[in-house]
Amino acid sequence: MEPIEIGLWVTGGLLVFVLLGMRVAFAAGLAGLIGLVWIFWSKKGYAPDDFGWALTVAAKTAGQVPHSKISSQALSLIPTFILIGYLAYYAGLTKALFEAAKRWFAWVPGGLAVSTVFATAGFAAVSGASVATSAVFARIAIPEMLKIGYNKQFAAGVVAAGGTLASLIPPSAILVIYAIIVEQDVGKLLLAGFVPGAFSALIYGIIIVGLALSIPNFGPRVTGFTWKERFASLPPALPIIFVVVTIICFVYNPFGGDAWGTPTEGGAIGAFVVFLMAVYKGMRWSELRDALIETAKLSVMIFTIIWGVLIYVRFLGFANLPSAFSDWITSLSYSPWMILVCILLAYAVLGMFMDAIGMLLLTLPVVYPAVMALNGGEFVTAADSTFGMSGPMCAIWFGILVVKMAEFCLITPPIGLNCFVVAGVRDDLTVQDVFKGVTPFFIADAVTIALLVAFPQIVLWLPSLA
Amino acid sequence: MATASLVLSDDSTLSRLDRGLLRLEVRLALLSGLAVFALMILAVFSVGGRNILQSPLPGYVDWIEQAMPLIAFMGISYVMREGGHIRMDILVGQLRGRALYVVEMITTMAVLVLMLLLLWGSWEHFVRSFDFNAPMWSSDSSMDIGLPIWPAKLLVPVAFAVLCLRLCLQIWGFGRAAVTGQAIGVPLIADAAQQAAMEAEQLGGHD
Repeated sequence: MEPIEIGLWVTGGLLVFVLLGMRVAFAAGLAGLIGLVWIFWSKKGYAPDDFGWALTVAAKTAGQVPHSKISSQALSLIPTFILIGYLAYYAGLTKALFEAAKRWFAWVPGGLAVSTVFATAGFAAVSGASVATSAVFARIAIPEMLKIGYNKQFAAGVVAAGGTLASLIPPSAILVIYAIIVEQDVGKLLLAGFVPGAFSALIYGIIIVGLALSIPNFGPRVTGFTWKERFASLPPALPIIFVVVTIICFVYNPFGGDAWGTPTEGGAIGAFVVFLMAVYKGMRWSELRDALIETAKLSVMIFTIIWGVLIYVRFLGFANLPSAFSDWITSLSYSPWMILVCILLAYAVLGMFMDAIGMLLLTLPVVYPAVMALNGGEFVTAADSTFGMSGPMCAIWFGILVVKMAEFCLITPPIGLNCFVVAGVRDDLTVQDVFKGVTPFFIADAVTIALLVAFPQIVLWLPSLA
Repeated sequence: MATASLVLSDDSTLSRLDRGLLRLEVRLALLSGLAVFALMILAVFSVGGRNILQSPLPGYVDWIEQAMPLIAFMGISYVMREGGHIRMDILVGQLRGRALYVVEMITTMAVLVLMLLLLWGSWEHFVRSFDFNAPMWSSDSSMDIGLPIWPAKLLVPVAFAVLCLRLCLQIWGFGRAAVTGQAIGVPLIADAAQQAAMEAEQLGGHD
């Protein structure tokens, strides 16, 4: 059997493992290991005596992947970002942010909902996790909105949608994972998430104001805050600004000259400031211990998928599957734009059933080279490319698109997790209510993705400066 | 998908072993978490040293590379116990009772086979860098300050061995559940709503 055929069979097997409910990390590792044994054994003509040899070589090949791939400085960014998010709860940053957003923005039509979106966007700057963001704001923002007569379903929808902003606005764990899998510059990807994230928040805001203006009594304004009160609300929220500025300066120095250090250092300094803030707010050892264990849990889960998938990727290389898939994609007679849109739609469907991290890690090793090939290859210049951007820029653009797509799936039925979380926090809301309330944002996201596809400059402007 | 699950316990031997192993797993997970904390402190010293004292921390990158396996592997068994590794349970979640436990037992056995092979492979990886006769018993060392790499490499098979114990317990648990119909010491699928409630519970009071 040709290696490519083995590749297809093993990939089919991987699918079966995943459907049977095997944990994604181990399904990928197992598929990869079986594939390696198969390929090595096939080279010896399947002689029974050589099976032991093939197994040994495969186990040794796969066995060095976990340590060698995980011991990298770039990956150390992930646990630091996760730690910032967990410490932020203890630092009281969420309430401070919501209060500040309320005092500054609640005077517009639909003001409290707009404030909620901006506060979630702000919290996104210290948290890379969408679900957690929704859970926290469901407790703070929904009661306030209900108090002044907001529609219950809509209030829940705002919070569920606002949570999705966390994965684009830096620090985003999922963008780091993308960068590592496709071997692109982590710093540039983090920068690239900033504008589309802020852009999404802005579109959410515009939709809320539009709805409030067109439907009577939709979302009353909240007025009466003095300038003094407004400025007084800023200092408690300052650590957030500090974290954002630090991370950006450690990636790209806006004042000219070299960046201040590595993104990991930026993340660590940010985490340290949030830690000091949490200690100041009276965090106890038992709380710190919980935060550390939760950080460890999430980090371990992500790292396990990473090395599991990398064992599978090692096998894919032997089977030559990614380049065969790229050749097939580029040989199609459809327009490359059309193919790109189809790939994104496929992600939308897949994301309805699968977790974002698992979905991206499983598919990117094959899909990413194909998209790069569609654009004209890894090293193509903007002038010669299909999508009008150089290879590295295309990698950044596609990364933002798939991550935005994965976020989109957090608010789509049937298992849009953010909606379940909001319904779980509030006893008076069913999941159907939240799905109903989130519909305007669902449409807004579709528009945002279309705009990001049509105008790649929105994504590429900031990273092209760095 | 599921990121959180429920584990039931009673006073059977299985459940006692489960809780006993859990104590070890929690300690290892905490070690993972402390390593993240250390990473943060290390970076603060590194940046501070470079910018304030004008003397960069020697071997900063080497230390990070040593700490990463601690973070990435020590908690692996704990996450398995809690059912925290991502999976797609949309199909298997439709199964109930014994059918579910049998499928879970079979997939867990497959994972055990994988982990035993990787335990062997990662042990071999460690053996290649360990040498009793070399200085610091090390036949390879890190780039900058020459730290021996074998301790970090050894962490992988150690963590995998604990995971293999956990998998054996889970196979036992699912097998027992398939016979008695009562699932003890194994993660149960929490439906999305249950999961959300747990998620909310976990964040309770920290907003």
